[in-house]
Amino acid sequence: MTRLILTVDDSASMREMVRATLQSAGYQVIEAVDGQEALDYARENSCDLVISDVNMPRMDGITLIHELRNLPNYRLTPLLLLTTESSAERKAEGKRAGATGWIVKPFNPEQLLATMARVL
Amino acid sequence: MTVQKRTSATGRHKAFSEHNVGPAQQGQHGGLAPSLPQFGHISRYWDREHHCYSAKLLPGEYYVTTTGEQIATVLGSCVSACVRDRRTGIGGMNHFMLPQDGSKGTSAWGAAVSAATRYGNVAMERLINDILKLGSSRENLEIKLVGGGKVLGASAIDIGARNIEFVRKYVTDEGFCVLGEDLGDVFPRKVQYAPATGRLRVKKLNAVHNNTLFERERTYAAVLDKESVGNDIELF
Repeated sequence: MTRLILTVDDSASMREMVRATLQSAGYQVIEAVDGQEALDYARENSCDLVISDVNMPRMDGITLIHELRNLPNYRLTPLLLLTTESSAERKAEGKRAGATGWIVKPFNPEQLLATMARVL
Repeated sequence: MTVQKRTSATGRHKAFSEHNVGPAQQGQHGGLAPSLPQFGHISRYWDREHHCYSAKLLPGEYYVTTTGEQIATVLGSCVSACVRDRRTGIGGMNHFMLPQDGSKGTSAWGAAVSAATRYGNVAMERLINDILKLGSSRENLEIKLVGGGKVLGASAIDIGARNIEFVRKYVTDEGFCVLGEDLGDVFPRKVQYAPATGRLRVKKLNAVHNNTLFERERTYAAVLDKESVGNDIELF
């Protein structure tokens, strides 16, 4: 069965790059433009994995992870953060919120797919 | 191009009051206001001609200011995006070029996800995110684009053209408001950007006598080509 991935980023170009990468590997992709839109989607729908940016308007990626972990459907779902941020403090916040992993942009497509395969 | 479309008075005042940054540079007596913490490594100097402090960018660097400073750089084939919030006058500038493709083995994904595109995206996103974090929103950003000269002569590869193509596509895809651009042609450019007012000054330089500039860009290009684009992954 095709895996469904929810990707969250406020940058249209970044969403396009992530979608192109995931679709090349046969994943089905749903996009959200910020944490709030992603959370609204997640309250009604399950998915197999979430890849989210950190800095976004309305709701940032770390708050999104925290909120998703409170949803019964997302307790065990792999949640990856994909961001320009690379500081140890921010990574620790992501980990505390319940993220599965942290990927610093620019991402390498092969490694992004390999990481997803590991946690799915 | 000297583009000046907006007055600064209200924007500047707002920037100071909202972010609690004192009137940093009312003259040499005012002293140099501290930069934002992430930009401590950027060198700044007093610009006698324009009576303000100026941050000086080298290839690969970017800078954001809330205090009415200028940002200056010299561009050959590199490009700079000048980005500001039109309400607060907070803004900044980057200075980058795309790495050459081919060495990263990303052909399977095509141009949309090439190493060059991924690197360029991050160069833009770092600058934009730092401005957004200071209380801005995407709709209030206005952008000017500059640089990308074909400075190495007619026979050389036109690196500038690739940089221009990327940055134009990026701002279009992102739906940003572009107020002006001075791109291409054969000249290196000395540029000075004042985020508080949005004024961008561009002086075209004589291409023949800029060995320092070419050397800096070559060094930067070599570093980019060696750098692996995207290796920082941590699973918790």
